[in-house]
Amino acid sequence: MAILEVDSITNSFGSVTAVDDVSLSVEAGELFCLLGPSGCGKSTTLRTIAGFEQPDSGQIRIDGTDVTPTEPNRRDCSMVFQDWALFPNKTVRENVAFGLRMNDVATAQRRQRVDETLSLVEMTDHAEKPPAALSGGQKQRVALARSLAFEPEILLLDEPLSNLDRKLREAMQLEIKSIQRETGMTMVYVTHDQDEAFTLADRIGIINEGHIAQQGPPATVYTDPTNQFVESFLGTTNFITCEVTATTAVEPATPEATDGGTAEIELTTPFGEPLSVPAVDRLSPGDTVTASIRPERVSVVTASSEPPASWLFTATGTVEQRLHRGSRIRYELAVGETTLVTERRIDERLGVDIGDSVAVGCQPEAITYFDAAGRRIR
Amino acid sequence: MSVTAAGLRDRLQNGELRGLLVAPIVLFDLLVFVVPFGYLLRISLTERTQRGAFVEGSWSLEAFQYVLSTPTLIDSFLFTLWFAAGVTALSLGISLLYAYAIWRAAGGLRVALLGGVLVSMLTAIVVKLFAVQQLFAPNGVINQGVLATGVIQEPLALINSAAGAVIGQLYIVVPYSVLAIYSVLSSVDESLLDAARDLGAGRLRAVVEVIIPHTIPGLIVAGVISFTWSVGSFAAPLLAGSSAERTTGIAISDLLQQNFDWAAAAAMGLLVATTVFVALAVTYGLLSYTGGGTDG
Repeated sequence: MAILEVDSITNSFGSVTAVDDVSLSVEAGELFCLLGPSGCGKSTTLRTIAGFEQPDSGQIRIDGTDVTPTEPNRRDCSMVFQDWALFPNKTVRENVAFGLRMNDVATAQRRQRVDETLSLVEMTDHAEKPPAALSGGQKQRVALARSLAFEPEILLLDEPLSNLDRKLREAMQLEIKSIQRETGMTMVYVTHDQDEAFTLADRIGIINEGHIAQQGPPATVYTDPTNQFVESFLGTTNFITCEVTATTAVEPATPEATDGGTAEIELTTPFGEPLSVPAVDRLSPGDTVTASIRPERVSVVTASSEPPASWLFTATGTVEQRLHRGSRIRYELAVGETTLVTERRIDERLGVDIGDSVAVGCQPEAITYFDAAGRRIR
Repeated sequence: MSVTAAGLRDRLQNGELRGLLVAPIVLFDLLVFVVPFGYLLRISLTERTQRGAFVEGSWSLEAFQYVLSTPTLIDSFLFTLWFAAGVTALSLGISLLYAYAIWRAAGGLRVALLGGVLVSMLTAIVVKLFAVQQLFAPNGVINQGVLATGVIQEPLALINSAAGAVIGQLYIVVPYSVLAIYSVLSSVDESLLDAARDLGAGRLRAVVEVIIPHTIPGLIVAGVISFTWSVGSFAAPLLAGSSAERTTGIAISDLLQQNFDWAAAAAMGLLVATTVFVALAVTYGLLSYTGGGTDG
């Protein structure tokens, strides 16, 4: 059963709608990531779950109980803040004990629980220090311990690692993941860093402009986006602007079409080769359709060799740029009136130089189409 | 050793003559504080006389004996201590609430609250006390308002009474107190309050547990300001109190102007100053104990 249910909450501040009809549900023991660009409403969503913001409409349920009107101190969840918000006048031990003390846990039990939690985050040696004497990573551990100590049902994390440098951040991601496995704690984790989200999440909700663009397991969201925002937000991609030629072209092009196969609409592309999308009612001639091919899925062969027959299209292009970026090489190819970007690992480098003529294409499953409103066409 | 400009500069840069850099402050302190204070001390140690302010060139402890054996002066001194302690306690309470309100307010409201403090601080004391008289008089706005509610039948003696003296003095010290506390509070991260609430603390408990410990340095400074100023209070008890509220300030003024007894006035002044010094020394001890007012 879902331990946390967010039921179409909307939050406005003046004329700005920060959260617009967001619904999600989180299973017990699950790590759910809210991923989105800054200012998309993911932090407001989290603060609404914690009880610091009141939604204009909608409901929050924890364990099936409506907690929407409940004060933050009476909700069975705890938040790890972006700036950690450790109490500067208290030692590490007092910080971690705070939640237990507020929840009237007896002294002996409290001591034991604090010791356990400090050892879980490997901060036992620093128990008597004030937060000011700790490094960023250590403060992070204390903040985590402080929220874990009194065993809330749900742990809310608001970009907890964004103040750490990259190496430490990656180490802490793994640590949070292992603590989550060890304790079985349900976590809702807000981040703008997609690598972090993909590393940690059991499921991801991608937020854009206050609403959830897509949610699901990380792999599904990446490979099977339902809209153009998700496709563009998760990593880089090549967007190719195409135009619907004519809806009269809608005809069963292949014999399969008669037994449930798809009718197709033809598109003109900036690189000359036509493409086609499944026929949908919302397209009419002159409409714009955006095709997307991930850089790693753009196929390239030298002009002299024969392109594979399995390619969806074959266009001729010229190598414009070749950039070495650490373990990867990035090629920019001028194809017709557009530029396609592709990437190869060093050991899979293409044997081409700047100015070389190449054949460019892709496998049929490598390409996704979106209509002018950003919706996936399939 | 030759005293050339370049040589002097070198020696300053080497730190040899670093002591010279504090010379202006030392000079200022000497002229403005030590010299007048020494003068006061000297006068307090002269013989009292009926035929002038004091006997020049004489040495005597007579003035101190007089001050310490005159019941009205002792009463005045004890009253002043109580008065200052009461004003300090009230000032701290009011200022803490007000500073907290500024801290929690946002945008225009914060500016308005801060502005209110500054306007009050920059208003001349006499003008302020005149306003207090109007506001708290038996036929003033406040008394008329409370009378209209029917809670009381007779106007309250909020002016020309002990209450009046305290209210008047609060009008003087509270703005400074508020700023002292707010300056510390403004450095506190508001998310601490959220964190405390999140961990199960109720609204009041969150403030007491997390915010108050932070404001202690500010509270101490506010306390010092309120107490020292009230020990030396003169205008508020004079203009808003009755003749019963005779603070040392008023007593000294009477000694100077009515009795023309400068030796006794100086002795009384020294007693008050010593009290303030002791209070400051205790506070300094407290400050060092809590970490010198910095966030630890």
